[in-house]
Amino acid sequence: MPQSQRHENDIAIVGFAQTDAHVRYDGPEVVLIMECVNALLADAGLERHDVDFTIAGSCDYLSGMPFAFVSNVDGMGAWPPVYESHVEMDGAWALFEAWLRLQMGDIDIAMVVGSGKSSPCNSREVFHLQADPYVVAPLGIDPDAMAGIAARSLIESHSATETEIAEVVARSYASATSNPHAQIRTSATVEELLAAPYDMAPLRAHDVSPKADGAAALLIARRDRARQITDTPVWITGLDHRIESHHAGLRDLTDSPSTRLAAAGSGVGDGAVDVAELHVTHAHEEIILRNALNLADSTSVNPSGGPLAGDPVMATGLVRVIEVARRIATGEAARGVAHASSGAALQQNLLCVMEGGA
Amino acid sequence: MTQTVPGFGEPERVVVDCGRMAELFDIDFNLEYPYTRTTGPIIGPFLTGLRDGRILATKVGGRVICPPVEYDPDSGATVGPENLVEVGPGGEVTGWTWVAQPTSKHPFEHPFAFAQIKLDGADTTMLHAVDAGSEDAMSTGMRVVVRFSSDRQGTINDVYFVPGDELPAAPAVDDDAEPVMITEHLIGVRIREPLLPHRRRFVEGLQQGRIIGQRSPVDGKVHVPSRGYDATNRVPMTPDDDVEVADVGTVTSFTEIVPVQYHGQTETEPYIRCSVLLDGADSTVGGIDIRDIKIEDFRVGMRLQMVWRDGDRIGDLDNRGYGLNEEVYERWEPTGEPDVDPERLKEHNF
Repeated sequence: MPQSQRHENDIAIVGFAQTDAHVRYDGPEVVLIMECVNALLADAGLERHDVDFTIAGSCDYLSGMPFAFVSNVDGMGAWPPVYESHVEMDGAWALFEAWLRLQMGDIDIAMVVGSGKSSPCNSREVFHLQADPYVVAPLGIDPDAMAGIAARSLIESHSATETEIAEVVARSYASATSNPHAQIRTSATVEELLAAPYDMAPLRAHDVSPKADGAAALLIARRDRARQITDTPVWITGLDHRIESHHAGLRDLTDSPSTRLAAAGSGVGDGAVDVAELHVTHAHEEIILRNALNLADSTSVNPSGGPLAGDPVMATGLVRVIEVARRIATGEAARGVAHASSGAALQQNLLCVMEGGA
Repeated sequence: MTQTVPGFGEPERVVVDCGRMAELFDIDFNLEYPYTRTTGPIIGPFLTGLRDGRILATKVGGRVICPPVEYDPDSGATVGPENLVEVGPGGEVTGWTWVAQPTSKHPFEHPFAFAQIKLDGADTTMLHAVDAGSEDAMSTGMRVVVRFSSDRQGTINDVYFVPGDELPAAPAVDDDAEPVMITEHLIGVRIREPLLPHRRRFVEGLQQGRIIGQRSPVDGKVHVPSRGYDATNRVPMTPDDDVEVADVGTVTSFTEIVPVQYHGQTETEPYIRCSVLLDGADSTVGGIDIRDIKIEDFRVGMRLQMVWRDGDRIGDLDNRGYGLNEEVYERWEPTGEPDVDPERLKEHNF
């Protein structure tokens, strides 16, 4: 798009940072965030007082500390005071709020953080609480169990095979070998993967993302300020998120209609998609999402290895945005889409479409 | 730079040997919340039905939906209790997964299936557990039938399913029981983690009768207890920043707690809770309990000496608190020194 066609309300990503996906980080979550934010500001050449709005996504239950999100503000820098907000969701939804906030026009720069320390607990014992609290959550049906049901339905409807699901994992592991932040740094053949025992049959343990401790952060700015900060702004041309019923009986778990709606809303199909980073926490979900997004064979999917190679819970969706943004900023890709998901079996889906150019 | 108060100078840098602490303990606790929820006009009858031996659904726009809904999923229109119909007790499995290793939140401790079950008479599926014995007994399209637990509380866990068509025995029903208006759900998560490095050195210091803080490498301010970082300057702190401060300090603020009686309350008498600025520190230690100084004698600026408790001082110290637990001290005694001018404490009063 020619420069003159950018609107003053257009928002660009002007800096990003992420920590490694640690199996266990033996420090405070605040320090995890702090190191990420300090790297982010240094990279963008900005000071904390340049930032007008900060927002984070995290989950207090994971670290077992009520109001952990309040002390997490220390990591972003509580001083000087700014407009501050928080979502008890993945950092990608914090980006959504920040993107809306900047369009009000009164402030120019926002910092978005996603962070989580999931190592202190079994996250399955936390995330079943996202389900209906009367008729589902007390059964303990967690995201992995729901994914197992969805994967079987996908296979039995002949929309995927166990081999194709294993191929997703094998390709993710192979891609992750060039990702310095990945948690899994080994390769595996499809045959080796298929020889592993079932866990949530027909899923196997490697079909489920390995939970990690980690943080991610990015800076977004309005058009004029973005151009001052960087020569390679990554423009957010579309951002939308949609949700499906919490009543699983009303959903088709082999499809993702909320992703289709978000794709239409964010304009995924308005141009070629060079790269797509998808929030795949269960391997078969990549097959559902490719289909719902109508991705071409030429699209590079999860070149970072994706969440199957490292899942810093609550930062994982925001990491998808960063992985796409970095490839656009370096010129490796011209246009791409990042996907984030929340809830069981792809219940809620966010899409962020980005492109380069001054 | 460091502000000190009379009686103590610049805190000394120290090296805390945590050799012992490394294997001393991991933190292991359950964070629990007991939720009680009102059930409303549709879920109430549904849970009452499960308790009393029948499964209810709602008929909405030509579809029979189970579990029942309070609204039309297509239009959002309210669905009233007149739309409730009975379904089951048998049904068909339309989707399932085999849970080989149940979590503590699952309804069975042995392997079982979670399934989508289309109950006879319903048009949608319900998520529930099938106690099938083995994975080989499960298949899509199989018939299952409800079983009623012996101890039913008006929750979704009052029932489960088994393969086959054999009707359940009629459960014993108390005809005088009230409808289920409230459903209870105790949620909890088990947290296991090591004591963080800066907390380990702090706790080890307490064991040795020393109070360890950290001096910011940026502005020189001394944080006690440290959180492992300097929030003002956004810089992590390391063992190189450890310092020892005094067990003597100055009251910067206080309040009188008059215990309100609630479930679990053990306090009965009023007491003082105060913040103390230890000599050599720039941050106050909050939440200190004072039980043997009269409220009328207590004041900001008063000098106090901590009296250490003998023996194990670790108690419940974990990664989350920012104070000194009661296990650490017996009491705090006035030193008899002249008060510090409260004007000098303004920067530290919280």
